[in-house]
Amino acid sequence: MTIEPQEIRDWINEVGSTDIVVGIPSYNNARTIGHVVRAVQAGLAKYFPDSKAVLVNSDGGSSDGTMEIVRNEVIEDLSSILLSHPTGTIFRLATPYHGLPGKGSAFKTIFEIADRLDARACAVVDSDLRSITPEWIELLIKPVLSGQFDYVAPLYHRHKFDGTITNSIIYPITRALYGKRVRQPIGGDFGFSGELARVYLSRDVWNSDVARYGIDIWMTTTAIAGNYRVCQSFLGAKIHDAKDPGADLSAMLFQVVGSTLDLMETYHEVWKTVRGSSPVPVFGFQYTVGLEPVAVDLERMKDRFRLGVRELMEIWEDILPVEVITLLKDISEHQDYFHIPDEIWARVVYSFAIAAHRQIISQEHLLKSLTPLYIGRTASFVQETMECNAKEVEEKIELLCNVFESEKNLIVENWE
Amino acid sequence: MDIYERFINEPVKGFIDRMLEFLPDIIAAVLILVSGFFAGWLAKIVLKKVFTILKLDEHAERTGITKMLQKSGLNDPLSLLLAKIAGGFIVFAFFVVSLGTLKISVIQGLTEKLLYFLPNAFIALIVLTIGFILGNFLGRAALIASVNAGIHLAGHVGKSVKYLIIIVSVSMALELLGIGRDTVIISYAIILSGLVLAFAIAFGLGGRDAAKEFIEKKLKGNQSKNDIQHL
Repeated sequence: MTIEPQEIRDWINEVGSTDIVVGIPSYNNARTIGHVVRAVQAGLAKYFPDSKAVLVNSDGGSSDGTMEIVRNEVIEDLSSILLSHPTGTIFRLATPYHGLPGKGSAFKTIFEIADRLDARACAVVDSDLRSITPEWIELLIKPVLSGQFDYVAPLYHRHKFDGTITNSIIYPITRALYGKRVRQPIGGDFGFSGELARVYLSRDVWNSDVARYGIDIWMTTTAIAGNYRVCQSFLGAKIHDAKDPGADLSAMLFQVVGSTLDLMETYHEVWKTVRGSSPVPVFGFQYTVGLEPVAVDLERMKDRFRLGVRELMEIWEDILPVEVITLLKDISEHQDYFHIPDEIWARVVYSFAIAAHRQIISQEHLLKSLTPLYIGRTASFVQETMECNAKEVEEKIELLCNVFESEKNLIVENWE
Repeated sequence: MDIYERFINEPVKGFIDRMLEFLPDIIAAVLILVSGFFAGWLAKIVLKKVFTILKLDEHAERTGITKMLQKSGLNDPLSLLLAKIAGGFIVFAFFVVSLGTLKISVIQGLTEKLLYFLPNAFIALIVLTIGFILGNFLGRAALIASVNAGIHLAGHVGKSVKYLIIIVSVSMALELLGIGRDTVIISYAIILSGLVLAFAIAFGLGGRDAAKEFIEKKLKGNQSKNDIQHL
């Protein structure tokens, strides 16, 4: 247990117990956290007026006054959210977390507080959300509080070209491995039961990459592989504060895909026997949201892919099957034709997973060398779906997932 | 008879006496050599087992050493190669000792110098090995990073990093062996200075416009029109 100092333990003793804990991890989010806190407060007040609730901000040492904003933020006019009656108390705690710097360590503090307060239902939301509404709290908490489910994954409405790592790698592979169609396994906003929070706490992962950056996929995979009752809630659009445009794509791939592949080691006995997949219940009224157009530089992406084929083929030859190598060379040489089929892409992802398992080269080099292939696949997919609407794109992603499921034998047979 | 006694019998007798005097030393030398072969063979087997337990071949494959050795025509796994080298060293050491038992002063002198040289040779071998491993690893890291940064000369960047590290480790090894100590350092300095000067001239004079464009690009940031949010 890492909750300190004494005043926090005193605060916990004072609160005693609670029905709901909503956690917000943060680091220098003064610009956006106020809105998130108000949305959480409004959601708790409106949808859980009879439940005792706690809002926990787990902070990574912000220097811009993030925690002060959390402590002081209030909704001044309750009638604006159609709430006329006085509501129950929402306890609030803003505390720095301890451990390795990262979202996982922030979540650990939230899990600990939920455990100490014997919470029945919990939710975590990002601190830079601009599109969060009070309804998100209902949608993340209610399925758990009602006793029907243990884990609520988010379901967002995104631009057809956004979330390509999720659409082309994480969702297809997670679905094929564990047999559950959780559409956004690394969404970032989740609901879960107090019991599941205790399970998370009991795992020895807090000095690993899970604590740094792998917490989202770890939570989802642990819930699915542990046979917990999983559902999804439609939350609408997910609009973040603008991220650093120079954020390194290869570092993102290394972190996200690396965490997914590490979990394959942990849950090998689970996924090796799973075949096919089943749908996961969805809550929330689904609607279309107007989204800003996304500019795409296809030629630059193809150029990066070709550069990768030219310079990294020596590394890929030790990882990829011969027919994949031949096709990649072929695509790279053709100026007019650029298409990476679903079957080839599934084999690429599975081959990299096998190479990571066998430790053929350092995992960082392995996954960073995947970047040009991922960019090529994204360019191919964008080109193919340029004229498609969101529904048609979703159908194509569904076809990709079916291919991942049918190609699964490649990884099952070559894993040992 | 005197002539026969003086020019044939006595020299032959003297030769036989010296041979008989020398024979125990030769027998000892041969025995030592045979023991050396046996010890080398045993060391090879034991070390191969130890390296297998330490998963040396898997590590060699991950760091690219196996591939590098295969390119050099060495198809044996690293564990077997190192075991053979260690075994060879032991045989060689016994050979040197066996030469010492012959009590020939010139050979003893050479033996002493060789034994003095061996530790440095061993350390030089370690320095070279580390240099190759590091060069390979960092060269690959530089290659991948350059490709991901969209640098079209990524291959050259990777190779430059790799061979620079290898050259440094070779010069360190040569210095340890005391071979052309000053020559190596001076050559290294000349080559490096020459490269830097050539690059400065090429970039400064020949690539003025390209340099300007490059600097502007770096200062203004990525001009890509990609707005995709990958996560």
